[in-house]
Amino acid sequence: MKMEDMSLLGLDNTKLEALAQDIYSDLVEDSCLGLCFEVHRAVKQGYFFLDDTDQESMKDFEIVDQPGVDIFGQVYNQWKNKECVCPNCNRSIAASRFAPHLEKCLGMGRNSSRIANRRIASSNNMNNKSESDQEDNDDVNDNDWSYGSEKKAKKRKSDKNPNSPRRSKSLKHKNGELSNSVNADPYKYNYNTGINYETLGPDELRSLLTTQCGVISEHTKKMCTRSQRCPQHTDEQRRAVRVFLLGPSASSLPDADTMVESDCYDASDGQVLMSRLQWDGSSDISPSDSASSKASTNNSDSKKPKKKKKTSLGLNSTGGGGGSGSGGGSSSQSSLVGLANRKKKPKLPVPPAPSIYDNLN
Amino acid sequence: MSKDSKMRATINQKLTEMGERERLKELLRAKLTECGWRDQLKANCKDVIKEKGLEHVTVEDLVVEITPKGRVLVPDSVKKELLQRIRAFLAQHAT
Repeated sequence: MKMEDMSLLGLDNTKLEALAQDIYSDLVEDSCLGLCFEVHRAVKQGYFFLDDTDQESMKDFEIVDQPGVDIFGQVYNQWKNKECVCPNCNRSIAASRFAPHLEKCLGMGRNSSRIANRRIASSNNMNNKSESDQEDNDDVNDNDWSYGSEKKAKKRKSDKNPNSPRRSKSLKHKNGELSNSVNADPYKYNYNTGINYETLGPDELRSLLTTQCGVISEHTKKMCTRSQRCPQHTDEQRRAVRVFLLGPSASSLPDADTMVESDCYDASDGQVLMSRLQWDGSSDISPSDSASSKASTNNSDSKKPKKKKKTSLGLNSTGGGGGSGSGGGSSSQSSLVGLANRKKKPKLPVPPAPSIYDNLN
Repeated sequence: MSKDSKMRATINQKLTEMGERERLKELLRAKLTECGWRDQLKANCKDVIKEKGLEHVTVEDLVVEITPKGRVLVPDSVKKELLQRIRAFLAQHAT
């Protein structure tokens, strides 16, 4: 029995192998037959040759294997080096920069109006005080559309980036409304606001100083662009800056107007001022400031990238609101007068300042 | 010998009944298509057809031409795998 089994097994092994082979070849033959039937049917039904293309078309779509070219035969950076001539300004522009340039050049597109508005706003601010110099004004305005000023505008924009939407907003509110945003974070924005006074001419300096605080920060060597009532700087500092920048006899700004103005405002706004000035970190400084100074723009958007001279002014950006804010109506009067004096005539006597401080104490 | 043939018959029957045959067939087809054997043979068919003429080609023509080539062209890996499976089946069910 065992032997039979064993022989059966042995038989089975070789036989099994042969059997396996047979089974395998049967399967392969089945596949071949299947293929033949399929092809035959396709031929008889007429769809066997449908997926072939003729030789000519085949050549068109051959795979390309040349350097510098992809497999379709197209060059990769074909348009990179091409230059187009702008129809608007007739400049030669690189192809990849052409669309954005056209956007700015034609004044269409999302950002171009923003930039233009900002430029207008800042040039307004610059030119505000020099109404007497009409010719100069025109020249400056003509520069608006040159590309140098465009770069300036862009630089200005990047200089005041953290502030910029707020700054332009406050410009609209210049006529007596509050610009809360400007003074919302006085200490946060302190070191970001500023003008380099080195590159400003005397006229520009004067116009700036009549509208703005102008105190030069020791940290950044920039002029403070906040209003004349800015809480960080004292009137003393402002006066010192004016003396420094304009010289003791350099100021030639009209005094009469401002004097008259300040008197008027003393009467009417005294009460209002009193309440407002009492608040140290006050954001109400701008109305009084705009009232007393003719050039009423808030310092918001007059950021100019000017170089800075080294200044040895020891300025503290402490709560200068103490200086400008006074306790009584009378002292507010005197403060206004003193302020006006300091703005227009740097050489006017110091006494108003100590009196302010006395009243405070 | 009749034992063998009997045995063979039995095994074949088992193979079919259990569905293993179909499975093996499908496996083989898939593998042959994957390795390009089918396309190769189809190209051969085209030659035969062009030779014999489109209108008059018969199944017999194709079979005669194609099958021997087909057998030869099966890749070794496919062959080995299939044989392995068959042997496994036989080992399981032959005794």
